[in-house]
Amino acid sequence: MSMATPAEAPLLEVRGVSKTFDGVVRALDEVTITVHQNEIVGVVGENGAGKSTLMKILVGVYAPDKGELYYRGRRVPFPRDPKEAAGRGISIVYQEKGVIPHLQVYQFLLLGHEDKYVKFSSLQIDTMKRVAGEILEELRVDCDIESFMYELPLSTQKMVEIAKAILSIRLEREDTDTTPIIILDEPTAPLAIEERQGLFNDILAMKRNSSFIFVSHIIPEVREFADRVYVLRDGKQVAYHDLTREKVTEEDLFRAIVGRGSSEYLYKPGLEKAVGEEIALTASNLTKNSYYYDISFHLHRGECIGLFGPAGSGKSEIIRTIAGLVGFDKGSLTVKGQTVKADELPHLRLERGIGYFSGETGKELFLNWPIAKNISIVNIGRILLTGRVPVISFSAERKMAERIVKKLRIAAPSVNTDCTSLSGGSKQKVSVGKWLERSPDILLLEDPTIGIDVGAREDIYEVLLEMKKSGASMILVSDDPKEYSILCDTIIFIKGGRMQRVLSPAEFREVTAA
Amino acid sequence: MARPLFSQGWLRRNMTTVGPIVAAIAIIVGFQAVNPFFLSHDGMITLVYAMSYFLIAACGLTFVVMMGSFDFSVVSLLKLAALLCVLYMDKLGFLVIPLALIISTGLGFINGLFVARFNVPSFMATLGVSVVVEGAALYLSKGFLHIIYNETFRSLATTFIAGLPSIFYWAIGIWLISTFIAIYTPFGRRTYAVGGNLIGAGLSGINVERHRIYVFMLSGFLAGLAGVLYMAQLGGGSMLIGADMPIPLFASVVAGGTALTGGVGGPHRTLLGVIIITWIQAGMLMLAIGRDTQMIVFGLIALGMSVATIDRKRIKIIK
Repeated sequence: MSMATPAEAPLLEVRGVSKTFDGVVRALDEVTITVHQNEIVGVVGENGAGKSTLMKILVGVYAPDKGELYYRGRRVPFPRDPKEAAGRGISIVYQEKGVIPHLQVYQFLLLGHEDKYVKFSSLQIDTMKRVAGEILEELRVDCDIESFMYELPLSTQKMVEIAKAILSIRLEREDTDTTPIIILDEPTAPLAIEERQGLFNDILAMKRNSSFIFVSHIIPEVREFADRVYVLRDGKQVAYHDLTREKVTEEDLFRAIVGRGSSEYLYKPGLEKAVGEEIALTASNLTKNSYYYDISFHLHRGECIGLFGPAGSGKSEIIRTIAGLVGFDKGSLTVKGQTVKADELPHLRLERGIGYFSGETGKELFLNWPIAKNISIVNIGRILLTGRVPVISFSAERKMAERIVKKLRIAAPSVNTDCTSLSGGSKQKVSVGKWLERSPDILLLEDPTIGIDVGAREDIYEVLLEMKKSGASMILVSDDPKEYSILCDTIIFIKGGRMQRVLSPAEFREVTAA
Repeated sequence: MARPLFSQGWLRRNMTTVGPIVAAIAIIVGFQAVNPFFLSHDGMITLVYAMSYFLIAACGLTFVVMMGSFDFSVVSLLKLAALLCVLYMDKLGFLVIPLALIISTGLGFINGLFVARFNVPSFMATLGVSVVVEGAALYLSKGFLHIIYNETFRSLATTFIAGLPSIFYWAIGIWLISTFIAIYTPFGRRTYAVGGNLIGAGLSGINVERHRIYVFMLSGFLAGLAGVLYMAQLGGGSMLIGADMPIPLFASVVAGGTALTGGVGGPHRTLLGVIIITWIQAGMLMLAIGRDTQMIVFGLIALGMSVATIDRKRIKIIK
């Protein structure tokens, strides 16, 4: 494959762009990317790697501290707002929140440009419909301009959003021959697996007259659809591949994104064999249509099962189903011999002995509460004055929290410090700490160490391994393969919502170290 | 060099506590300066009568607001309970009191059911229930003024103990119990949890649905109790009972520092809010300020307090 005319100046070039927040957090450090005519450029990285900051600079939401912008080889100032960015030919389709469901397609497409279609102070509906119809026809988006946005399938909604982005560039520049540069921010995130391929086919077809910057952390998609890919980590560009020329494996990209050598964590083989005979949880043919299908496994006492797979594989939905946050359509889930109803509320899961721990900030933590209350909320039975009268003993609460803070080395002035003011690592430790105190039979871990430093990670692993040793079963979902090596006894590969194979830790290490 | 009494940072952090205290003192000093009757013995009794039933109802509403919901039906439930007492005292005797309380608690349950089970936004659910209750009250009372002649019933609120009417002790007792429940019991803790992070509360093993229903029942019960005691205080009434209440009631909860966004505040704070609001109301009455001006003043206070207390950092979009 060849690009249009590689010798020519690129359509867009961002050179040496840096951005610091609050004077300390270095979000972007000397990043350079180029976009050529009619190509798809992938930008990949973990959460917090700087992808979003870079995109927000390109569409004028943030101003960079440093850096240069070139459009067709000519230096231009960075845009100051999205309207200016559209004037430079750049527009973005955000991951979510873009669509207004109760607008008709043509109304949505021209939203924000109504003033161009006013005659004698009333809207020229026919003209608007014609303009909307033309762009959809040109981009071969198959939908009725008079249907409501919510009536369209999600992938078509995405296409309409892309059409809207292209249209806004044209209307802003008042021409139709510019090649629009469309930034797609995790475009497949809300889509079901079946819809993703369709969206990509449509996007590939649109390459004829557009360029795309494809921001994602879903590696297989990037590898399949991008022409070139930039990998960002901690605000720096750490890798670059021209996928039209070199052969790059998913593992290559994975390692560049995560970027940690395998020697960084000490693997402790002594802790591996604590798995009991007793079955704590059984999933059989568990199915949630469009997300995952026929998931079956036994989770033993003291065992940790890792659900491993690319983002979008359905692994997150599986663990959230077990946590009670998402229902399931078919199959069965049995916890300690009891069958779980598909639409049971999450609080009943805790009564069954299932705790859920997510690294996502504020999901299960009460941010405006002090550490002590966050730890005691799942242990309230243990801090009552007496067994019979439901009155909280504040001193018992404080002692419980102090014990946890000390054990987990949580950096905080006191147990009465509000969780908002804690660092990411300390917040996560508070969450782990409450489960350590509660010691549920089964602990679900979703991205337990996302976005925190190595020291805090080690502390959290230590606690989790200790809980495991004393008989807790766990299920892990993460983006970091090292985490599976450290915590899991069994690893299930998930792809496209289905179980691919089941591996031991040793086999898993062989596969991922390749 | 003179050091400021409080550092700016301290003041900013504790604004929701300092603000209401300063406001309460300013109101007392202000009205006393204009009208010396304000803090005389008779004036005090007027103030106490004005705030007591109000405080009981406000405590119930506070739990709902702590939970991030709202209860428009408090005033209607109070009215219904009060009218049930005056209408059926002759037929049922004192059994009318538990009846009124059971009915208002039951209506609170219906509020909770609509909010927690059917996911109707609480303002709509409670507004609907409130209109139905108003209709029922109008049907029962036929719009007439009814007088109660049972002196024992009236003594529930009007017996003087240590110079103050008994309704005052009821109110302070309810306030103490509410404060205790909010701070020292798992029930209170769960209420804050539901208001602070609904999903987190479910994941922490709290039966969110059932708890929300309980809180609306508590609010209904306290509204009913306030109505019974208010009727004992008044000795009679019509559909006009509580007609001036809604906006001052909502303002008093918010003025105390329980933000409409939920998760913070509590009944301990509502006492100050009730003092501020009911004493402004009473003070304006004593100064013979008209109802027109009063309405404008309370509307503005309610709006101003909502702006001052909402936690904008936590909730970005408010509809």
